[in-house]
Amino acid sequence: MAEQLTMPAIEQRLCTEIQILLALKPGDVSPDMSLRSLGMDSLRFVSLLIVIEKAFGLSLMKAGLKREAVQSVRTLAAAIHAGTHP
Amino acid sequence: MSLTLPYSRHRRYLTGIDWTIGTIDYVMRRETGVGNLSQVILDLDGELPADRLRTVLAQISSRLPVIHGQVSRDIVNLAPYWKVSGASAGKVIPLTVVELPADVGVGQADAMLAAHVNRPLQSATEHLRFLLVRRAGGPSRLGMVFDHRLLDAFGAEAFLDLIEQTWQGRLEEIAGCISQTERPHLDQWSRQFAGGKTINRFRLRLAERPAVTLAMPRGRRNRPVRFLHDGITAEQAARLVEVAAEECGLPIVLPSALARTIRAMRPAFGAAPRGGGEFLVAVSIDDRRADQKWECLLFNHLSFMAFRSPLEDSDPAEKLVASLRDQLFEQMREDIPGALRDAAMLTRIAPHCLGSRLARGPLGGIEWSFYFACLRESAFSGETFLGLPAVNLLHTPRVPAPPGLGICLTFFRGQMNIVLSYMEGVLDDRMARQLMQCLKSCFIQGVDRHSRK
Repeated sequence: MAEQLTMPAIEQRLCTEIQILLALKPGDVSPDMSLRSLGMDSLRFVSLLIVIEKAFGLSLMKAGLKREAVQSVRTLAAAIHAGTHP
Repeated sequence: MSLTLPYSRHRRYLTGIDWTIGTIDYVMRRETGVGNLSQVILDLDGELPADRLRTVLAQISSRLPVIHGQVSRDIVNLAPYWKVSGASAGKVIPLTVVELPADVGVGQADAMLAAHVNRPLQSATEHLRFLLVRRAGGPSRLGMVFDHRLLDAFGAEAFLDLIEQTWQGRLEEIAGCISQTERPHLDQWSRQFAGGKTINRFRLRLAERPAVTLAMPRGRRNRPVRFLHDGITAEQAARLVEVAAEECGLPIVLPSALARTIRAMRPAFGAAPRGGGEFLVAVSIDDRRADQKWECLLFNHLSFMAFRSPLEDSDPAEKLVASLRDQLFEQMREDIPGALRDAAMLTRIAPHCLGSRLARGPLGGIEWSFYFACLRESAFSGETFLGLPAVNLLHTPRVPAPPGLGICLTFFRGQMNIVLSYMEGVLDDRMARQLMQCLKSCFIQGVDRHSRK
């Protein structure tokens, strides 16, 4: 279940989802990378939030997403971790 | 289904969206005499030497004959493709140079550039032309008219960058990155039919409540599209992005930008409404990543979405932003842009003369209140163009009619340009000026207040 995922597991899953979403090669996405540098534009970000809803059962839009949370894959993973480990 | 028809690997078969854009072009040529053209205008601080530009255009023309192609159809599988003949290589991209006297105001250059985009293309293989308006020792304005069948808005900006890169000797390196082939998508039939089903359902939902529209003038033949332009500074635009994110609760600009535009539009529609009691706005969206600038330079890499909003201004502004944000999520959940891309593949069988009876635009059969586009940061972001400082870049698109009304927001080195396009007769000039003032004030609203916090 999503609640049992550790931070590294969330990061790994998020990297995979972003790689698929942006049609990048495996290994192109790492937790330290900024979402902007990966080519994440507004609409793809909306798609990512929808993927997160499906993958982690968490609506970040409803949970309230701070700007700091969307800086990098790691900060976004941390927001998911916080949302799934209340 | 696994049926795949034979095709050439060396051709650029048109995608469904390319075909949809081609249908819009056909309808516009039939009804107004001029196709689905747009213009990107680059303001330069200095007198641009025309020979320098001519030399670079000749190099590009010779290296990329694809820009002189035309639509043809594959007899084997009936898929339309972009035909590039051997004679294309020697063709010249037209460039007209106008020297303005020192005492002539900038309004004269605006009028010339507006007339430039309202002139039809001269042949089936002409898709680009340039107008350089300059004043001795003074600034230059360069207008590049482009056929939307060859370039979309981001691609047109990238083409300007290609000119600059060619001048810097990088044409060969970049030309190798530009994709000039596309498979015909004569497979994945079940996916295309599923897309069609999704789009039909979406279209039925949209058709349930007719949109409010402005009256179209009779006799649209040779009727020009007019343009008004204003903008906000890079500082204001940066704050707007921050405020938009706060209003939306997410780092996305579209819901807030569209909400501000709708608020500005209300008085114009309230004066003489036709149809229903809601705005229905067609929004074009860019489908490529910013790093695919060269790869996806040519042809169309976009899709469309649709947004509703009440005509009456009874709800607080935050509620409108939230409603538009929710509509955005709903359509992304359903993957309406992707379904439209897939479904449009199926329409390629019908020639434009037939297809235009069914679909005059995206989500054919739907009457729109207006078109809206909010482009990402410009693909041309260089400090200089052919040796001169680049000051601003904006678009003047010939908005499809109907509705004959559109708003285009573009970002150039942070500053945001607001362009209002309207077919003559849809708005009178006084109303258009009022609407532009309203747009400007709506985009500034909250931004300056935010800066004082």
